Amino acid sequence: MRTSLIAVAVALCVACEAPVPQAPPGKLAGVRVVDLIPVSLSGETWQDAEPFLALYVSNPQLLAASAFTPNPGGSTSATAPIFVSNDGGDSWTLRNTLPSQLQTADITHAVGGSPPVLYAGILKVPGFPLNELKTVDFFSPATMTLQASRADIDQPFVRATEVASADRVYVGLNDFDAPDGRTATVDISLNGGTTYTSRRIETRNTLGQNGPSIRPAVAQDRTVYVAYFGWRSQTGSDVTSDVVVVRDDSGASGATPFRDLLDPSDHLPGRLVATHVTIPWSNAPTLGQERIGSTLSIAVDALHSDNVYVAWADRVGTGDIYTVHVRRSTDRGATWSGDLRALTNATDASLAVSTNGTVGLLYQQVTGAGSASRWVTRLEQSKDGFATHQDVVLATVPATTPPFQFLPYIGDYNGLLTRGSQFLGIFSANNTPDSANFPQGVVYQRRVDFATHRLLDGSGAAVAVSIDPFFFSVPVLP
Amino acid sequence: MHTQTAILLAVALSFLGAAAPGPASAQGARTALVKQSDIIFIGTVTKVGAVAVPEVPASDRTVVVRVDQVLEKPAAVALSTGDSVTVLTERRGSPKPGTQATFYTTGWIFGRGVAVREVGHELGHSPVAVADQQETVVRARREVNDADLKAHIQKAAMVVAGRVEQVRPAELAAAPGRPKRITEHDADWQEAIIQVQDGLKGAQAGQQVVVRFPGSSDVAWVGTPRFAVGQEGTFLLHKDSTTGSPTTTIGGRPVPAYTALHKLDVLSKQDATRVRALIRKP
Repeated sequence: MRTSLIAVAVALCVACEAPVPQAPPGKLAGVRVVDLIPVSLSGETWQDAEPFLALYVSNPQLLAASAFTPNPGGSTSATAPIFVSNDGGDSWTLRNTLPSQLQTADITHAVGGSPPVLYAGILKVPGFPLNELKTVDFFSPATMTLQASRADIDQPFVRATEVASADRVYVGLNDFDAPDGRTATVDISLNGGTTYTSRRIETRNTLGQNGPSIRPAVAQDRTVYVAYFGWRSQTGSDVTSDVVVVRDDSGASGATPFRDLLDPSDHLPGRLVATHVTIPWSNAPTLGQERIGSTLSIAVDALHSDNVYVAWADRVGTGDIYTVHVRRSTDRGATWSGDLRALTNATDASLAVSTNGTVGLLYQQVTGAGSASRWVTRLEQSKDGFATHQDVVLATVPATTPPFQFLPYIGDYNGLLTRGSQFLGIFSANNTPDSANFPQGVVYQRRVDFATHRLLDGSGAAVAVSIDPFFFSVPVLP
Repeated sequence: MHTQTAILLAVALSFLGAAAPGPASAQGARTALVKQSDIIFIGTVTKVGAVAVPEVPASDRTVVVRVDQVLEKPAAVALSTGDSVTVLTERRGSPKPGTQATFYTTGWIFGRGVAVREVGHELGHSPVAVADQQETVVRARREVNDADLKAHIQKAAMVVAGRVEQVRPAELAAAPGRPKRITEHDADWQEAIIQVQDGLKGAQAGQQVVVRFPGSSDVAWVGTPRFAVGQEGTFLLHKDSTTGSPTTTIGGRPVPAYTALHKLDVLSKQDATRVRALIRKP
């Protein structure tokens, strides 16, 4: 075991500087990486991209996960699957319980206060309407219950919390039917999903819409933050955007929520964390076969809601394709740091803050060039705002294989959460069973032969390499 | 409704061994079961009120079945002779241990093993004549596929055999007062101009038709047929009710726009013969 604590300069533009020499990260005790595809689907070759994870604080055994995994039954299937685990993520089963034909076109989910309630927001196939769903038992074979639905929505992103024995559900989404091109919206349910109210959170003019990522984060004291992209203008495929954070101090339960954080420049709700950044909107393979343009994450310290982190990706313009930035506020979003991290050619940043205040940053970065390029999935942790951090490489896999079947290649997002002394998350990657690709080790449920680096089907025949979802847990820095 | 139908079919099929219904009605019932199934196997019941995988709770509707022969399954599913499958039966009063039957099922839970929901089953005399049963299932699947295709043909406004002469970006009339949306799910509509070589329904040889299809690689459009210049095939075309712009132009002349968004809408050139036969079939 070797833990590398790496000091990095806190710079406003790390990407502009020469790379800081870093010792190669070693194997860290207590890390688990598990391929979610079960042994009974060993012949699976789909591109299981854009994974997501939900877990209970009260029951560490129960987890739910999703990806663009199809119903194994084929294209006529009326349902799509989720993965569930009842042993803390050591093993997973796939259950067809989502009301979407074959698979979903977007999905995120979050647990309720009482296990095993689960809320999900999906874009349903066909037609892609938003479906806000609930099940009181995600192990049940029953199809999840539809609670609300409407068209013209993008990227529903679900978070939930329990207040006075009632689940509150926050679904960040881009609502193209919102007036005046101010499309950043949060659907809020204060009654366990029985009813939802749509709240518009953009207060400034846009180019006609906001970016697709609208990300809520909820603290235990009911403070709710939401990060979004304020798209202001467009030139070709480049969008000029602000990175905006709004806040509500009472669980967004009032008639005009998300008005508690004003920007000093115009006194409008929504603090401008960064202004006039360039978002390269590319709906084509651009970074290691992945499209780019919507990476955004926010996390609040659940016990100390003053502390909040935001991560986004843009193009800095120094030869980068896409650069992830991380910033922090310690005064409820009133003021923000400069870049604590700036990670060149990276995407899918996900943040979480553990109960001891340690921040976790999951991201996926392309290293190398051409046929030697690799997708490297890392979890960084820091207790001091990234003055120093621990770096764990979870996977380093070829970026050019397998060829993409569709976009997103690995996902427009992945997932990171925390519970107790663990960060728990999920990412998608090339599934070649090669120990060198997984420096922390890896457990496959599906049939594999590590000696020959081959995937095997039920009969022992070789199976083509594809993209699989991988669950992981990493101990939080003490 | 679905359950009742399945029960009736199962009951009907359970008499196959006693030769109650005639062969035609038996095959019809079998075809109905095949249509609803994605995992079909011959198996022998080994335990009742039990399960073979820990992820499924045992109940009076669960039985464990040893697989004697897999007749149909998706490629991704690992299922072989000798495996034990947990079956959620359609109704209580399941077959007794030792009973051999053909199980028509859909996938339910995939974990360390496979659990399936029974659509129906067909009792057999042990040992079931595997080759015979395989042949009947293959025939039933062919009938299901033909029926699906015939239904698609009937819904199509036009069926043609032809060649793609040109592919161009679609110029769609913008909806009034609505700016163009920027979304990763944008279809990026394209238009293929097809030279009709054989008009099978609603078209004539020599005619040109315009078919819209998504150029996007987004997940929302995965599996949707695409067109390329020089592509030949048999095409089931539907009036465009998807893009919101039902007409287009050829050489400045307004013409209806069509779509072909289902996988059955784009077939090989050789399939024209089969399509023509299905059109003529009552």
